[in-house]
Amino acid sequence: MTAKYDHDAIVIGGGPAGSSFARVAAGAGMDVLVVDKRKEIGVPVRCGEGLGSMDMLKQGLGLPRACYSTEIEGAKVYAPNGKSITWKGKDTGGWVLERKFFDKWLCELAVEKGAKVHTYTRAAGVIKDAKGRPQGVRLSHGGKEPYDVSAPLIVSAEGMESMIARELGFKTVHSLYDVDTCYEYEMKPYDHENLIEIFFGNKAAPRGYVWIFPKADKKANVGIGIGGMVQNGKKQGGLMGADPKPLLDDFVKKNARLKDASTLLDFGGVISVGAPIDEFVKDGCMVVGTAAKQVDPIHGGGIGLAIDGGVMAAGTAIKAHEKKDYSKAVLMEYDSIWRKEKGPALSNHLKLRKVLEKVSDDDLNHVIGALAKEDLDKVMAGDFAKVAAKVLAGRPQMIGVLRGLAP
Amino acid sequence: MITIKHDGCIFCVGCSSVCPANAIEAAGTRMKTYPERCIDCGLCVKVCPANVIRMYKGAKSEKDLPPEAE
Repeated sequence: MTAKYDHDAIVIGGGPAGSSFARVAAGAGMDVLVVDKRKEIGVPVRCGEGLGSMDMLKQGLGLPRACYSTEIEGAKVYAPNGKSITWKGKDTGGWVLERKFFDKWLCELAVEKGAKVHTYTRAAGVIKDAKGRPQGVRLSHGGKEPYDVSAPLIVSAEGMESMIARELGFKTVHSLYDVDTCYEYEMKPYDHENLIEIFFGNKAAPRGYVWIFPKADKKANVGIGIGGMVQNGKKQGGLMGADPKPLLDDFVKKNARLKDASTLLDFGGVISVGAPIDEFVKDGCMVVGTAAKQVDPIHGGGIGLAIDGGVMAAGTAIKAHEKKDYSKAVLMEYDSIWRKEKGPALSNHLKLRKVLEKVSDDDLNHVIGALAKEDLDKVMAGDFAKVAAKVLAGRPQMIGVLRGLAP
Repeated sequence: MITIKHDGCIFCVGCSSVCPANAIEAAGTRMKTYPERCIDCGLCVKVCPANVIRMYKGAKSEKDLPPEAE
């Protein structure tokens, strides 16, 4: 490390993206500081906690038992009329995590590789040189007197909020159209079949869906996400806006298996279901994970993508560190690799999301009724043509809506 | 400007993720607002999953709020 800087890299945010970056970069000998504004890594939990097994297998990390609540085999997708299709196969398995333990475990792996982590530490601003290039961040522990820490590389792994990324000039503000607002309960008892259950319906969950993620000991995360631009409820002061909770309560009340269950936890959040930001790097800085909108637009899931993004960014950061050159030109490698590996699948999913939001409940009933399990494999892999043809054979009037899936 | 009922807030930072004016951020264990930056767009109110944000159009500081405001 050069004497000029306190660290080689400062990572803002100790979630899956930040911890994964730190694990790989520190493992290669970089001096990495991770700061997280929360008092405890992994708390509060803000998501449905689903993770596909493929995501972890690729990383070669064995998941400790404490980090997940239950294993899942696949998914069951319900049409508005209650008919369902079960999607189970060799690639559909995964886990419903205990995020609190999972995030902390990923963070501990980074610490074991030599990264330094500080909780309850907020990044209040970026320190820049005369040319406007980032040279460090201003930190504050527990709201106390701020202090400056320097590094030639700043990594924003801030998740949805991404205030430092904004200050660095990245366009990370979300539009209402490209977010879902979500409310979720952890409930018990719920008899599940080790399947994630997804319920579609424009009335039940406008521009979104209800999910049930099974957990151990007859528990389940029962949640709803609806489009941020939906105006289904009166918000404070009488303003119309998206109000997921009453819709979730309605779903629970009407569901015979849930109506008498208790809630053990209320949580919620706003998730990104849009496209990744235009650029992930600038001179001396990188954005990874949800802060870069590296999320699946179909379901807003971002844990696996965050880990991948963090690892890819670290691979490039290590090269920059060796060259002592953190310019955009060098860091750009991460941007290119990510877009090549992840871009096509996610842009197909965005296309699919935009088509799904235009499909009426009646058409959804038809589509889900017409599909077989193999068709879902094809759709998620971005191979729309054959499946669209099958749907259109029974309902040709859907051609207008399905045209959005064309390459 | 906006007000947040902190005891109902689930600290999801959804409001700050859609705020185009950088007027809301997470600080410590609660959300902090910057009334002087607020542009009264109401996006945070519309998106708040816990429905705890209220907008007072035109108000620039606490002294501009009506007496019933929290």
